[in-house]
Amino acid sequence: MHRYRFILTRPLQFLPVIFGVSIITFVLVRLIPGDPARVLLGARATPTAIANVRAQFGLDEPIWMQYFYFLQNLLKGEMGKSITYKIDVLPLIATRIEPTLALVFSAVLLSVLIAVPLAALAARNHGRPVDHLVRVVSTFGIGFPPFWVALMLILLLAVAFPVLPVSGYGSTLGDKLVHLILPSLTIALSLSTVLMRSLRAAIVEWLKSDVATAARARGMPESIVFWRHVLPNAVAPTINLLAVNIGWLIGGTVVVESVFALPGMGQLLVRAIFSRDYMVVQGVAMVFACATVLVNFLADIATVAADPRVKL
Amino acid sequence: MSAAALKSRPATLVTGLAILGAFVLVALLAPLIAPYDPIYQDAAARLQPPSFAHPFGTDNFGRDILSRVLYGARIDLQIALIGVAFPLVIGTVIGAFAGFFGGLIDTALMRLIDIILAFPFLVLMLSIIAILGPGLTSFYIAMALVGWVSYARLIRAQILVLKNSDYAMAAVSLGFSRLRILFRHLLPNAVAGSLVFSMSDAVLVLLSGAAISYLGLGVQPPMAEWGVMVAEGQSFVTQAWWITLFPGLSIVVLAFGFSMIGDALGELMGVNE
Amino acid sequence: MTAAHPLLSVRDLTVTVEDGDTPRTLLDTVSLDLNRGEILGLVGESGSGKSLFCRSLVGLLPSRSLKRTGGAVLLDGQDIAGASAVELQAIRGARIGMIFQNPTSHLDPVMRIGDQITEGIRFHQGLGGVEARTAALEIMAQVGFTDPPRQFSNYAHEFSGGMRQRAMIAIALACNPEILIADEPTTALDVTIQAQILTLLLEIRKARGLSIILITHDLGVVAQTCDRIAVMRHGRLIEVGEKRRILSAPAEAYTQALIASHPSMPAEVAPGRSPQSEIVSPRPRALVEIDDLHVRFPVGGGLLSRRKTFSAVGGVSLQILPGETVGIVGESGSGKSTLARAMLGLTPLSEGHVTFDGHSLSLKRAETLKALHSQAAMVFQDPYNSLNPRLTIGETLAEVLRVHRKVPDAAINARVGELLDLVELDRSFAARKPRSLSGGQCQRAGIARALAVEPRLIVADECIAALDVTIQAQIVALFRKLVATMELTLVFIAHDLAVVRSLCQRVVVMHHGRIVEEGPSDRVFSAPSQAYTANLIAAIPDIDPDRPLSGAPLSSPLTKGQPA
Repeated sequence: MHRYRFILTRPLQFLPVIFGVSIITFVLVRLIPGDPARVLLGARATPTAIANVRAQFGLDEPIWMQYFYFLQNLLKGEMGKSITYKIDVLPLIATRIEPTLALVFSAVLLSVLIAVPLAALAARNHGRPVDHLVRVVSTFGIGFPPFWVALMLILLLAVAFPVLPVSGYGSTLGDKLVHLILPSLTIALSLSTVLMRSLRAAIVEWLKSDVATAARARGMPESIVFWRHVLPNAVAPTINLLAVNIGWLIGGTVVVESVFALPGMGQLLVRAIFSRDYMVVQGVAMVFACATVLVNFLADIATVAADPRVKL
Repeated sequence: MSAAALKSRPATLVTGLAILGAFVLVALLAPLIAPYDPIYQDAAARLQPPSFAHPFGTDNFGRDILSRVLYGARIDLQIALIGVAFPLVIGTVIGAFAGFFGGLIDTALMRLIDIILAFPFLVLMLSIIAILGPGLTSFYIAMALVGWVSYARLIRAQILVLKNSDYAMAAVSLGFSRLRILFRHLLPNAVAGSLVFSMSDAVLVLLSGAAISYLGLGVQPPMAEWGVMVAEGQSFVTQAWWITLFPGLSIVVLAFGFSMIGDALGELMGVNE
Repeated sequence: MTAAHPLLSVRDLTVTVEDGDTPRTLLDTVSLDLNRGEILGLVGESGSGKSLFCRSLVGLLPSRSLKRTGGAVLLDGQDIAGASAVELQAIRGARIGMIFQNPTSHLDPVMRIGDQITEGIRFHQGLGGVEARTAALEIMAQVGFTDPPRQFSNYAHEFSGGMRQRAMIAIALACNPEILIADEPTTALDVTIQAQILTLLLEIRKARGLSIILITHDLGVVAQTCDRIAVMRHGRLIEVGEKRRILSAPAEAYTQALIASHPSMPAEVAPGRSPQSEIVSPRPRALVEIDDLHVRFPVGGGLLSRRKTFSAVGGVSLQILPGETVGIVGESGSGKSTLARAMLGLTPLSEGHVTFDGHSLSLKRAETLKALHSQAAMVFQDPYNSLNPRLTIGETLAEVLRVHRKVPDAAINARVGELLDLVELDRSFAARKPRSLSGGQCQRAGIARALAVEPRLIVADECIAALDVTIQAQIVALFRKLVATMELTLVFIAHDLAVVRSLCQRVVVMHHGRIVEEGPSDRVFSAPSQAYTANLIAAIPDIDPDRPLSGAPLSSPLTKGQPA
């Protein structure tokens, strides 16, 4: 269908964005005062290592040539070596993708499971005490700092259910899932409030809409009005909101991974910042940015699927 | 419904303003009302649970949590205020000019915004702070570099809509100068949305500032800041919950105040539009 | 069942709202009958309670704070006013169907049209998927869909406004109701489409023996379609009776005012100074001269696709003489508003020339714009959107005076007062903001702003379209007074031909970005030379029931012969 043709053409439009992302990550590290080779390799670098990096990244040449080398290396999949882990940055990041991806996915799933029923409950009781309760709770929830919620969950749940692990990541699937419970719940508690507010407002709006009135006027019972007309229309803006918040959500994983010592990209980033492992910082930022672009693309596809009027 | 809305709107606004006002008062009066010096370490009073002498308990250095929470209000309010003010001003100016004049500069700015938004917010903030070195100043600089984007987009979108309004058209047809149209007719009507947004942005800024401090990249110990305090209490959370509970609650309540003000303003503006 | 009692009988229906401390009555003891097979016209202006009345018949009150506090609704003898939710569901759609003013907002945007039609069939008649689809296709053909099997799967946004209204009608008819309530079903449509929809309703009534309540603000629509008329005002039914009786001898003063303000085609020529087009005296120099004007807008197109353009105005030439009153008419999308904006230099010209008072916009842009800014002004369609909501009316007017240095600063307040006098607004309005004004008051303020520059030319773009008829008549009267008392050239753009005929000496008819006909109003309206103009005029519902509505050219299979 021609409405989905953008799936083929849109990736071309990502190129300038990715290009810009590469410029920013490049500039970031070059802005650090001092000799870039030393900055990149750390204080204890050997003269040969420094010479190698100088050659690889053309550090003696003008800045735009340096960027050219940076890009050239990037296309070859080389982003330098981590000074703490002593291995190439990209393979290092690759090992950290899975926990982060699993965390994001389970957090979104959990948020939707929390948000949709509560939003529906509140909206259908618009103006009644349940609605006010949900509204106040969700307004509070927006202000929950994830790192603090994590600790409170540990305090409340891990004490009551000592089987729940409070740090690390497992090796088997079941073990991994158990390790994801508290981290994803932490993120879901704040993400779901954002979704809930938006979805509640949208449902209230659509329950009052002409579409709902027209359906009632042809004798449809409230359940059909809600499930077939109100909800499908109310979901579209929430998908959009989820996409807009995905950057914020991924930011949340950085903090939550640190709290729960979950070996994902966020934890890698924070540790790299402390150890001044700039190659890794650069690499993680780059990968995170590409992932965000990809997620937004997926959200676009979902929006087109949810609303036949949308053309991209 | 409308009756309830009429009653609830001032209530929301009043609650929000009362919460914010209380925190401002606490921040201003911290030296007068705090029972102890926030960084004074009392080796004899370590990890004490809440009591009459220490209503919020003490931490592992024997510091009084209540005093630290009160002093923390100074830092965290400042984070929210400065962290919102710079992006708001920068973003409004950039967005207004880009939307009004359009053309090449507008296109270039929009591409730049797309690129900045491609980074997860906290990741870009952390990367910039990594370069500048940990500290509150780095946080503010990073905030100014990244945060203006949302305001610029918001104002630009508003200006684009208002530019096509009949009253803008009327102003053009009457030969008003472009600057008069922008500053007298469009901008005053465009800022409402971003003022509402600035309240929910204040929540995000507050949470980010606290998170970055929690990670050890923002406010540095021994300064009393709520994120730092939560980090300090982390190892003791199961034995001494009060060290983490109270600073975290302060963040939640202050954030709730901002959200309430934002909701009330949003409804007020929405009603008016 | 005998026809002894009316199909629907409403007795003392009262609805009140409780949102403040004191409950207000929105519908005040309204009693009304609807006979079998009859079309009843329910007439009133905005806020008269006519829509609320119809909704409260089937218990669809728009808010929880509204309550039916008294009265009975007898459907075929059975009182449904106190019916339970389940009973009402069985009545809504199945016995009383509804269609609405704005099909765009009432059709579900994310559900296929066909599914919306079958929804009612499946629910009320318990048919299965395949049977319901067959029934829906049949109804779609009846209401004038050209290719039902394909259009079944289309979404609302893929149809034109007229087709969307046909879809709403199909949805309502699908449940096979005895009564159809049509709430302003043609208000959002162009006149020719309106004529088609009204014809369709008449056909359906005939074919199905349907009883219809037609809510409208347009007495012309009522005159053309209804058997009886009920007039509502401020939540009360003030007059009801046989159509011809009400139209010819209205008992109530308000009904008389409504009829008087209806912009029906008057027999006489538009009043004004002697027509300039007489070739007796040497022709004065044109104030506005438009020569082969093209305005094109880019549409769609992006990084990868070719940029396309849409031609809003394609080759228009027109002269407007000083002191003339020219009407530009056309349906939506005819390019009349674009032409107006191009005339004032508000939109870039793609080709051709616009000359104002001898200054050419394409040759000496800055100079011409300067002349336009100080000697021409515009009045807009949406009265609220045309005034800066943050400024008081006084500030808005004072700003114009100050920028144009029309009067010394000390005299600004006095001049603002004079301007308000001119547009017949009380001087106290200077301190008020647009939001606290009614639509008609806003529009007067907009006209005052236009007058503040002391213009030679005023371009009014659909400036009465958003107003109630009685207010429309007042604004038209105001324009007539201004034109008569000031040295003013007026370009009046409207889709309402009757208003143009009564106000303008000369009329220009536009279609698809071109002028199809122009000439003196009385000549164009009485003897149009182009088929398009003739159709357009014939489609206007006249308030005289004996001047029948022209039929719809592309109508349904129900139409046997075309009415002349």
